[in-house]
Amino acid sequence: MRSPLARFLVRRIVTALLLAVGITLVTFVLTNLVPGDPVAANLGQRALGDPAIVAQWRADHGLDRPLPQQYLAHLGGLLHGDLGTSQQSHRPVLDDLAQSVPATLELAGAAIVVSLVLGVGFGVVAALRRDRFADHVLRVLSLVGISVPTFWLALMAFYVFFFRLQITPGSGRIDPGMTPPPQVTGLYTVDALLSGRWDVFSSAVGHLAAPALVLALYTIGLLTRFTRSAVLEVLGQDYVRAARAKGLPGRVVLFRYVLRPALVPVITVAGLAFGSLLSGTVLVEAVFAWPGVGQYAYKSATTLDLPAVMGVGLVVGVVYLVINLVVDVLYGVVDPRVRVS
Amino acid sequence: MTTRSWQVRAGLLPVVLTGALALAACSGGGSSSSTQSGAAGKTLVIDTSFDLKTADPGRTYEPTGLIVDKATYDTLLTFEGSDVTKPVPSLAESYELSPDGKELTLKLRQGATFADGSPVTADDVVFSLTRVRDMKGTPSFLLDGVEVAKTDDTTITLTSKTPNPALPYILPNPALGILNSKVAKENGATNDPNDKAEQYLNSASAGSGPYTIESFNVSSQVVLKANAKYWGAKKPYYDKVVIRNVESATQKLNVQRGDSQVALNLSGDQVSGVSGGLQVKRTASAYVFFLLANQDPGVSKVTSNPKFVEALRKGIDYQGLLELAGEGSTQASGIIPSMFLGALPADQAAARDVEGAKAALAASGVADPKVTLEYPSELTVNGLSFQPLAERIQANLKEVGITVELAPAPVTTALDNYRNGKEELGLWYWGPDFPDPSNYLSFAPGKLVGLRSGWKAGADKDVQAAADKAGAAVTDDDRKQAFTDFQQKLNATGPFMPLIQPGQNIVTAASVTGVEYHPVWTINVADLGAK
Repeated sequence: MRSPLARFLVRRIVTALLLAVGITLVTFVLTNLVPGDPVAANLGQRALGDPAIVAQWRADHGLDRPLPQQYLAHLGGLLHGDLGTSQQSHRPVLDDLAQSVPATLELAGAAIVVSLVLGVGFGVVAALRRDRFADHVLRVLSLVGISVPTFWLALMAFYVFFFRLQITPGSGRIDPGMTPPPQVTGLYTVDALLSGRWDVFSSAVGHLAAPALVLALYTIGLLTRFTRSAVLEVLGQDYVRAARAKGLPGRVVLFRYVLRPALVPVITVAGLAFGSLLSGTVLVEAVFAWPGVGQYAYKSATTLDLPAVMGVGLVVGVVYLVINLVVDVLYGVVDPRVRVS
Repeated sequence: MTTRSWQVRAGLLPVVLTGALALAACSGGGSSSSTQSGAAGKTLVIDTSFDLKTADPGRTYEPTGLIVDKATYDTLLTFEGSDVTKPVPSLAESYELSPDGKELTLKLRQGATFADGSPVTADDVVFSLTRVRDMKGTPSFLLDGVEVAKTDDTTITLTSKTPNPALPYILPNPALGILNSKVAKENGATNDPNDKAEQYLNSASAGSGPYTIESFNVSSQVVLKANAKYWGAKKPYYDKVVIRNVESATQKLNVQRGDSQVALNLSGDQVSGVSGGLQVKRTASAYVFFLLANQDPGVSKVTSNPKFVEALRKGIDYQGLLELAGEGSTQASGIIPSMFLGALPADQAAARDVEGAKAALAASGVADPKVTLEYPSELTVNGLSFQPLAERIQANLKEVGITVELAPAPVTTALDNYRNGKEELGLWYWGPDFPDPSNYLSFAPGKLVGLRSGWKAGADKDVQAAADKAGAAVTDDDRKQAFTDFQQKLNATGPFMPLIQPGQNIVTAASVTGVEYHPVWTINVADLGAK
């Protein structure tokens, strides 16, 4: 394997796989350290008094075996693509995740796109219009975005735009009573387009807009600030001055000489911020009744649904690993010095 | 292009994108009224905080699952509206309990059909009930020790070893819904723990109820559609019913805006601000909050002192707790909820007596008592949290001279100590498994909840005798008298202090009719109509 980039990628992927195994172990140990009995969380008060039902339930969920055996059985299942059966929904965790993960990906994906375009855009504008009116406005807005708690913003957005102004639709991913599009990707907007259901597409985009904007606001604020300072730093460099002195058009200066080097720190921040989007989804999903992985994770954690908690832990861990991998690769793309080293 | 003109264009991009997103939001909004008629048919949207695992009646025991199964499966007997004092016929046209209370004979109605058009037979009944009993799912205890037999094609006999006058009150539970046994067996149903029909029953119902399952998701929504072949006289009014998982704060906004027509989980505080031509049905729920004082000296020498328990009972400000609980709530006179047979009348509820409490404390001989009160920290029942109740009890008892240390814990953790009888003082609630007073014999010494408070069999012979008598009574009059007596004795010397029944508030659009709160299935979707 001669290409340094390929070697770099393989190394990163192997590390990521080892980390994924580590994540399963940490999740398993922590979940089992919680002082509480899943039986109590899952069976009614009456059923708890019947040893036969309790024993049957433990056996059904493999909880009658020693912990190391339970963990090994879980790992063995993973190798076969089996994440176990949820104690809450009584369905394979993989099926549950196949429903909830696309919902969150659609929400987080929309938030990421909005954050990148608006955050970087606002940051560039603020830097180019430094100390002018637009800069002041954008700096205040970004401060608000970073400071306002997501759950409060979600409640307020729902109250103002849905209830007061009546310009956004209500809870869920599409209008109640509307049949979801046939599942291909699990993303309603994409599946609606694929099946030619324009009414569903319109409803899905409408329902997506408010929660995605709420979720994106923090990241927009963060990216605006970092992009602004990064662009300002680059704008002060000699080679930018030289480029301008040569009479190069503003567009060329901005894209070729300013944005590219300025993006390196922005990519780092973006990677971290997108990871934090996942924690934000728990609250946003609750307010907008969005049936995503955040709601699933909350329900699983509060009912000590071990297989589901492990499944969510694995998904979130893998998302973080993928984001880190993408960030590392983007460093190489944006900054040739990283590739060489 | 100059630098300045590029700056202007770059500045426009985010503005354009924001505008596009706002337009997108508006495109899906505005027209959110969901009671639609016409080509799409009539649709009803019900918002509730999901507590849902399955739609398989043999495994259902959660409130949302019971709503779904009540709409999709018929039971042998049922209740009319919110009246739980008298079971009425459903798939069985009549029933008769033998004088010794051990044999229940049911006559099966002729002409009832499943959603696929096939008739409901005695074999379906026998299979469905034995499946629940022998599958060892959560509701299997409902039929513990009950033999189910088909006497002839129209007669079913349920036989118990001991008198079981509660059986007619147990049979309406949606967990005992009658399955189309042929369809169920084809999809893996068996009457033993190896049953594999749950996945099928979560995708399609196999009952004879007024609605069938169109789609089912345990975390987001359940869609029911009207059963076109429903056999009953009262046909379902709505073509489609959407039950959505929505947090209570959002439920309120949804129903006010018209995005939903029914909100099931608004707290007393939330309904007090509801306006805009909505209907609010305020009822006391069948949940009873109670305080327990552990009677096992090994757990606490203080709370096992009878005089100390008396001080507790007299020291609590019940009216103050009621104010905290909000609209629709009521004080619990006894451990049996007010709407059940054998409930104590309101004038027999405990009242605060600070001087009496101080005297009892002095008589207990315990100086400067310090006790720990455990309760679930994050659990709410109909919007009512345990925390403010615990704090109020702490303040009440401080006035009497009892120091209470609060020990909240996540419910899964707190349940462990409660179940194992290790709590010194505990603040909990009991929801009925079925609307019959016999369910509350669990509070007797040596029984399920009795043991959780360290109250062993034989610890109180008077209460024990009253419980035995209540359990053996067969006729309604005898049972009413026996359960009243049991509760009076329990209130006098038992370790439990019944506190409140929190309100159950159901908010509906002005047009919705037929809303009644039911202690078992919360709401009967089939009863709902429109003006």
